[in-house]
Amino acid sequence: MSTRQPDIVITTPPVARTSRWFVLQYRMAPYLFVSPFLILFLTFGAYPILKSLLLSFYATNGPKSAVFVGLQNFTFLLSDPDFHTAVWNTAVFAFWSVFLQLPLSLGLALLLNSVWVKGREILRLAFFSPNLLGQVFVGVLFSVLFIPQYGLVNRFLHAIVGIPLDTKWLANPNLVMPALVLTSLWMYVGFNMIYFLAALQAVDKDLYEAAIVDGANAWHQFWAVTLPGIKPVAVFVLVMSTIGSFQLFELPWIMLNNSSGPDQAGLTIVMYLYQTGFVTGDLGYASAVGWTLALGVLVISLLQMRVTGAWKGGTD
Amino acid sequence: MRFPYGPAALSMLVLSILSGLWLAFHPAKRPQATLVMWTFAKTHYDAYKQAIPTFEAKHPGVKVDLQLVSWQAVTSRLQAAFLSDLDVPDLVEVEISAAGSFFRGPLKDVGFLDLTDRIKQSGLYDRMVKARFAPYTSRGRIFGLPHDVHPVMLAYRRDLFEKLGINPNEIQTWDDFIRIGRKITIPGQRYMLELPDSESSRFDPLLFQRDGGYFDPQGNCIMDNEIAVQTMLFYVPLVAGPNRIASDLGGGQIFTKAVEDGYFLCMIAPDWRSKTIEVDVPKMRGKMALMPLPAVYPGGRRTSTWGGTMIGITKHCKKPDLAWELALHLYLNKEDLAQRFRDTNILPALKEAWNHPAYNEPRPYWSNQPLGKLYAELAPHVPFQYTSPFIATAKAKMSEALVSCVQYYKTYGDKGFEAFVRKRLKQSADEVRRLMRRNPY
Repeated sequence: MSTRQPDIVITTPPVARTSRWFVLQYRMAPYLFVSPFLILFLTFGAYPILKSLLLSFYATNGPKSAVFVGLQNFTFLLSDPDFHTAVWNTAVFAFWSVFLQLPLSLGLALLLNSVWVKGREILRLAFFSPNLLGQVFVGVLFSVLFIPQYGLVNRFLHAIVGIPLDTKWLANPNLVMPALVLTSLWMYVGFNMIYFLAALQAVDKDLYEAAIVDGANAWHQFWAVTLPGIKPVAVFVLVMSTIGSFQLFELPWIMLNNSSGPDQAGLTIVMYLYQTGFVTGDLGYASAVGWTLALGVLVISLLQMRVTGAWKGGTD
Repeated sequence: MRFPYGPAALSMLVLSILSGLWLAFHPAKRPQATLVMWTFAKTHYDAYKQAIPTFEAKHPGVKVDLQLVSWQAVTSRLQAAFLSDLDVPDLVEVEISAAGSFFRGPLKDVGFLDLTDRIKQSGLYDRMVKARFAPYTSRGRIFGLPHDVHPVMLAYRRDLFEKLGINPNEIQTWDDFIRIGRKITIPGQRYMLELPDSESSRFDPLLFQRDGGYFDPQGNCIMDNEIAVQTMLFYVPLVAGPNRIASDLGGGQIFTKAVEDGYFLCMIAPDWRSKTIEVDVPKMRGKMALMPLPAVYPGGRRTSTWGGTMIGITKHCKKPDLAWELALHLYLNKEDLAQRFRDTNILPALKEAWNHPAYNEPRPYWSNQPLGKLYAELAPHVPFQYTSPFIATAKAKMSEALVSCVQYYKTYGDKGFEAFVRKRLKQSADEVRRLMRRNPY
């Protein structure tokens, strides 16, 4: 049985009302309706973007001074050890976040998609709920959990595996990144799980039945039916998680007490941008950092889409 | 007549017209204040709230709008205000480590008024602790009036000192301190001193105590000079290696618990921190005491400095004379300063204010020691610290160097340590110098 899509009804003005004024307002009305967004976007989106592009070619020094330096800000970036540290830290965070987060999210989604699990709705809400809190709250929460000597994490791990109670997660350069990754896992695994869950529920059940008839076991069904079925969503989650990871700022900023942490172990690209622009006051260099980040994220996202086969210039 | 786009679009249109009309006929009230002032410290805010009505009474028709801005936000908000020329306050208090970042660029483009002539002509340069003008001075011009001195003492658990048989009067130098510290330190349970091994906030006072610093008066980076090397060689074995006597756990509730548990016996305590300790660890009332910082060598300086605040008048201010009067009212009124000292323990930079009886009052929390007198005796010896627009970067680089040196010392001990410290400090300083060389002005 097929269902017929309702026709799109285009209202046309009655002939009697086709006065000049009516035609004019009829034509202009759509533009008027989109104008609030357009005005806001041009003022607070497009203009700052263009302004920051211009600024990236200037050395700003103090509130009023700007000297044109051409590409000097960008060439300085290439040899700036702090920027290198920020890029490395951000890439490490993105790598671990994505490659731990996505399998865990998918695993949870598979679990909570299973009919045998009781109280699935409650569990879905529970796993998703950390994302309702916001990075600042989570940052404060985990900075308390990670405190040495008396913190819950150390107490727990001391009891389980005997780590020293005074382990300084947020003051030891080797432990800062694991602490950040763990925190982001807690926050985002449930969020990405929702995407996977929606994708899993959209996979055609007939395909599973056909696979079973063909003798496919659970692994074969997952590999041959589930994965191709959820691929568009998986690519979306992969790209969005990567972009989100490269924009990391609030979490380390709060957890590391408004600093980049010991030995800059928590310095991210956005944090470096913020410090350069609003602590050191060099907006030109900060703009160059911002544009480099934007281009970097664009390239990585395109690469990911290319590698995963999601970008073919058309629909599958 | 039927609206052609349906009821939803019609209701949106009606709502936008109605709300637009409402806004047009009810414009936001323009602030009526004559002067707008920002402060980042709640204790300052509370004190100024009490002091401002008398200023307004002296100047009929003048209204001061005092705003509390989070200290984390004040720097970026002020930078943004200067850049956009919008919502710039008339007066603003700036924290010492952020002040330098506002002195970038040509002097004519600094967002603060040059107060040098006002300060020198009014005699304030001699009436206040001279060393405290240095952090707010750039290329010989003073842009801020110092709020405080912040001499550093050592706060200690008097009850535990007595229990362990430690006589604070026997501690004259850091060598004495370390010798005793090694006897009483039990790794993981009890340390002689609270010192971090991952950031340089408490390295700085020890660097300043030796007359070291990040920049010289001309703004040259000196954070890798011999004093810095010797300070690092002194500091790292305190917090790392088998003979460490210092540790830290963090601030807030964990600090409270650690002090109560006797996890560390001593803390570096400038005047402002003595109040923090009182507030955060109330159970220790009567069990704490203060002593001067141990000297580097016998007869040497027994104090240092940590933290600070300046008040500046922005170039945006339309009534700079009135703003200057307000700054003087807040920073020079001896009765107000005395009350503020009782509330905050902060010693003002105005030397003549220290004669007020408030500074001799015994403090029960500090085993009835006269807190103000103790800090005031040390205040004239507070070292100079010079600033630069690159001060925040230099401090971050010092923290990095400290962490590297700690890691080296933990791994290799004394072997090759001095050479490593020299190399690492030079590397950090060179990075700062490289950034400074980018300056096209």
